Amino acid sequence: MDKEFIARGAKRCPGGKFLLWLLPWALLLGFGLYAAGLCLVLGLNQTNMDNRFAFGLWIFLDLTIIAFGAGAFFTGFLLYILKIGELKAVINSAVAIGLVCYSGAIAVLMVDVGQPLRAWFTFWYPNVHSMLTEVTFCLSCYLTVLAIEYLPIVLKNRRLREVPSMLVFEHELHKLIYVLAGVGTFLSFFHQGSLGGLYGVLRGRPFAFREGLAVWPSTFFLFILSAAAVGPSFILLTTWMAEKISRKKLVRPEVLRLLGRISGLLLAVYVLAKTLDTLLWLNRTSPERGFPAWQYYSWRPFGTWILFAEIVLFGVLPALVLLTPRLRARTGWLVSAAAMACCGVALNRFVMTVQTLALPTLSFDRFLSYYPSWQEVGTFLAVVAYGVLVYSFSFRYLPLFPEERELKVEALAEEEELAAAGRY
Amino acid sequence: MLPWNYGFEWNASHVIFLGAFYTVLVVLATTVLHAMWRSRRDLRQRKTEEIRWESDFHDLPSRDRVCRHALTGEFGSRECPHGFDCRKCETHARRWIETDAPARGAEEEEIFGMAFPLDRFYHRGHTWARPEADGTVTVGLDELGQRLLGVPDAVDLPEPGARVRVNGTAFRIKKRGADVRVLSPVDGEVVERGGEGQGWYLKVKPESHGEPGFGHLLRGAEVRPWLLREMERLQLALTAEGAAATLADGGVPVADIAASYPEADWDGVCGEMFLEP
Repeated sequence: MDKEFIARGAKRCPGGKFLLWLLPWALLLGFGLYAAGLCLVLGLNQTNMDNRFAFGLWIFLDLTIIAFGAGAFFTGFLLYILKIGELKAVINSAVAIGLVCYSGAIAVLMVDVGQPLRAWFTFWYPNVHSMLTEVTFCLSCYLTVLAIEYLPIVLKNRRLREVPSMLVFEHELHKLIYVLAGVGTFLSFFHQGSLGGLYGVLRGRPFAFREGLAVWPSTFFLFILSAAAVGPSFILLTTWMAEKISRKKLVRPEVLRLLGRISGLLLAVYVLAKTLDTLLWLNRTSPERGFPAWQYYSWRPFGTWILFAEIVLFGVLPALVLLTPRLRARTGWLVSAAAMACCGVALNRFVMTVQTLALPTLSFDRFLSYYPSWQEVGTFLAVVAYGVLVYSFSFRYLPLFPEERELKVEALAEEEELAAAGRY
Repeated sequence: MLPWNYGFEWNASHVIFLGAFYTVLVVLATTVLHAMWRSRRDLRQRKTEEIRWESDFHDLPSRDRVCRHALTGEFGSRECPHGFDCRKCETHARRWIETDAPARGAEEEEIFGMAFPLDRFYHRGHTWARPEADGTVTVGLDELGQRLLGVPDAVDLPEPGARVRVNGTAFRIKKRGADVRVLSPVDGEVVERGGEGQGWYLKVKPESHGEPGFGHLLRGAEVRPWLLREMERLQLALTAEGAAATLADGGVPVADIAASYPEADWDGVCGEMFLEP
């Protein structure tokens, strides 16, 4: 029934089957919107956060999906600025993922901050001493960039291209896409850094506090590096998942391997920097402030295992796999390593958010446990469902993977050649 | 923070932050407004068809953008950088001594049982252009194009007086769910409309300035290698769109190919063959 909206030659499942796929996600979104609505209407007493535990599941989710969404700016940077042409095969998908991640993050922030009708206050009455101000400005600007970058992909829809003004606008906007890629890179670098900087400047939280360069603590740079490292891995992972779910070949294996190599290289640099930073913090920053670092890891369940998992298991190991051509050539290893890299960055954001706040810092403080309420979980799930829905619609109606048809025809040509070779 | 609101101070950090923020906003607004302004200009200058082809050509798989000189074996491989408009191509100009009129009364090529008269020029989108004695150019579908569309369900021809451009839409044909835009082989003004039964679709008065140029169209010895490749593409397109194994060696395409493959997605096949991705 919607065939005329689907790209020519692209095979998509029947409309009924598509609706069936959407149904559980739509229900989940409905449930999440109800939970978020409760938080907005009744206030943050619906959550298990309090004055001490002011950051919880939502901020963890925000930081994680924003790091994952970095694939959009980094792929754009590599393609349009550094001219790595192979990435053209995944740029549309990367933009869609970036848009989903950033819009989801901003939606959750709106619920967390509350009073959405006063959202403009953040621009009009910004706190000049807060890195959150920089984050808000960069996030909103970069979401605008992503929306503009996503527009030409929407206008590539088969029916919309029939409208002359849309066809022409898409063409002209696409010509200027390198400007958007440049602006996106600038903004994304800064706000990824600011998010990290938010924790690094917490003098009252020596677990998170870091020294750095001028006004920027080391976490500023580590967040940028880790986001740039994990972005391509997340694109790799989502592309692989889209291939598995749709049962179609969407990109050439070389493109996935290239993403893996880029991710591995940056991950190795990140892990090295993170290791040096951790050693410096363990041996100098923290003791100088009167906190022997071992005591942070005496509070269960946050033992030293978490440090090992973050740096070695989900850092060194995937970096080695992604940097080894023989392992990278095998899809199982490649995808597992990408997933591990994503887990590593998610764990880092969890540590910075939840572990930081759980640990006591004053003599009368106690170790705090935090479990999100169902309303928090519901809102979290709403973002996941929203992401799946937007990506599903984009995959069905927009050219997220422009080489899809070419790959199909190439595979057939190879089959025919093999058959012909068998005949003669 | 901002000059006109709460808490702003004229110091370096405020000005740098403010400057960066405003620069970003100005760049974004300028980019979108510039794209809108250029779009408006393009629409006024009636460049829609040119842009549509540019966009379509860009979206074609690389194997479909092969240079005509690679088809004839002059190059091992080469992608056309000019959207099949060889009039802009220096490489083509060096290799080609243009003769605008094909040899009158020349024979025809018979390829897979299809006749391709050599008294005309062929466009890669399966149209032909034949210069007439009265100075007009007749435009029709080549035999492979005809067999692909069989008896059309509907034909949408431009009105006399309308302008057509090389690689722009000449006319549209509907066939079994496929809405095919057929590319024009020439620039000019439509003076007469034909139809499927007449063997031609349009008579075009070429652009008034200078002689009509046909250098971008295939002719003579180029037709056979091009058609052989087109048959390969058709074979792949049919298989890709769900048709069963096709074209046994020595076989010829039937008169109405669409009717022979009721299970195939004809929209996909026509998109592939008429260069509309």
